[in-house]
Amino acid sequence: MISEVVMATSGDNAPLWILAAGPAGAVATYWALYRYYRNTDKSHAYERDTLIQAQPVQGSEEKVDHISKTRDSDIDGDNSSKHRVRVERLG
Amino acid sequence: MTQDATPPREPSSSREPGSSPFDGPPLSLDEELAAARAEPEPGPDIDTINESLADGLNRCPKCGSTDVRLRGSTGNLVCLFCRHEWHEARVEEEFGLGVGIDDLQGTVVAGGADEIAADAEDVVTLTCGGCGADVVVDTAHALNARCHWCRHTLNINERTPNGAVPDAVLPFKLTHGEAVERIREFASKRRLFAHPRFKKEFVPENVLGVYLPYLVIDARAEASYAGRGEVQTRRWTEKHGDTSTTYYAADVYRVDREVAFTVDDLTIEGAADRARFDSSTTNNIVNTVLPFDTKNAVKWNSSYLVGFTSEKRDLDVDDLHPVLEDQLLSIGRAQVHDSLEMFDRGVRWEQERIDVGGSRWVSMYLPVWLYSYYQENTKMLHYIAVNARTGETMGSVPVSQPRLIAAALTVGTFLEGIAGAILVGTA
Repeated sequence: MISEVVMATSGDNAPLWILAAGPAGAVATYWALYRYYRNTDKSHAYERDTLIQAQPVQGSEEKVDHISKTRDSDIDGDNSSKHRVRVERLG
Repeated sequence: MTQDATPPREPSSSREPGSSPFDGPPLSLDEELAAARAEPEPGPDIDTINESLADGLNRCPKCGSTDVRLRGSTGNLVCLFCRHEWHEARVEEEFGLGVGIDDLQGTVVAGGADEIAADAEDVVTLTCGGCGADVVVDTAHALNARCHWCRHTLNINERTPNGAVPDAVLPFKLTHGEAVERIREFASKRRLFAHPRFKKEFVPENVLGVYLPYLVIDARAEASYAGRGEVQTRRWTEKHGDTSTTYYAADVYRVDREVAFTVDDLTIEGAADRARFDSSTTNNIVNTVLPFDTKNAVKWNSSYLVGFTSEKRDLDVDDLHPVLEDQLLSIGRAQVHDSLEMFDRGVRWEQERIDVGGSRWVSMYLPVWLYSYYQENTKMLHYIAVNARTGETMGSVPVSQPRLIAAALTVGTFLEGIAGAILVGTA
């Protein structure tokens, strides 16, 4: 069986990455179960569960550059949804 | 019984009967006159002292008995002698906490959120108003005690020198039985991979009702953010022999956003032990059962604490300002999130600023049912916590690592078998 697999992976149609399914599945299972039991990722969502009254958002955007060709499908360091990741403080 | 009005920030006079306070060496006449003309020391911005309880005894307004405790089903105080029920005024209306957030200026602090005196002892001696006996209360763990002679319940209702008395308390609503049921239900869903010793020693009936100290904050703030956003202008695929690669073209924008907002009853942990959220603790569990219906908190009366334990606040307003700013920045970022739709490749915030125009701080005891379990091999204290108002439950159950690893390996082996079969099939 193992020799067949090794031979298959060296063939033209053999997607080598599929062999990562076992280790990846094991790690994902461990992590999902651990998190379900220990809930290490949970916290009070004060951004949503607090009474907040906001004025309309103000702001502007100005085009400063153009990327003509990149393989990245998104911007580097996207933190627009990571509200609790702090960046440089001004003032 | 009434009490002379004294500034709450001033340490209360000695509680030892018969002793007179020593206030330093005698001053010269000029100094005495200057002191007399001086402005009185400023009191708290919001004075929340419950004057009706100044003698330390909480009497039933109908019969005068001090055998008073909380009736969980109604949230009222009940006299165990004549069964009369009553409750303290809601602080929201009493002190106008729900209004005027738009006009807040600077830091407004209620009396109970005043600074904890670092040099004050936790242990306070009270003289029983019923029989005159001295009763010792360890305010680190409880704010009431029973007179061992006459059975009066003595309450720390005045401001104590160490600032342990909060402004308001939110009474327990969920009963012990309801909390036990929720904890049992939570743990029963997590039995299979739980640590065997935890399963053996799990007794949800041992859950304890605890009042935890929080600072409840109203604030007015303006937040601003600057960063980069990208908008995709083109997407195409190029073939390189048998493989193909997808490429993108994008416009890069400098993005600025500003938002002004108010928050009502933002709740922050007031005990340092509970405020650390690093991976060595399970404090996030207790934090997760927030929020509470803090609008229903009532004026401080420690009779609400009878039968429950309590934890003393040891973080001051100054200590928590950075936490407040941090949370306001996060709230602001969440508020501006919807305005970023055009940047389909995402936004990277690089700079941010928060300007807190005003904040109002109130110290509050909030009710939690806590089942705690100390895991000896990892030296970790696990909790299953139940919000005693809303019933929200969250917990940390110690896991059995061998079982967890065995399950992970089983799944991994199964997936690897399928992957092998696919490879053999396509060879």
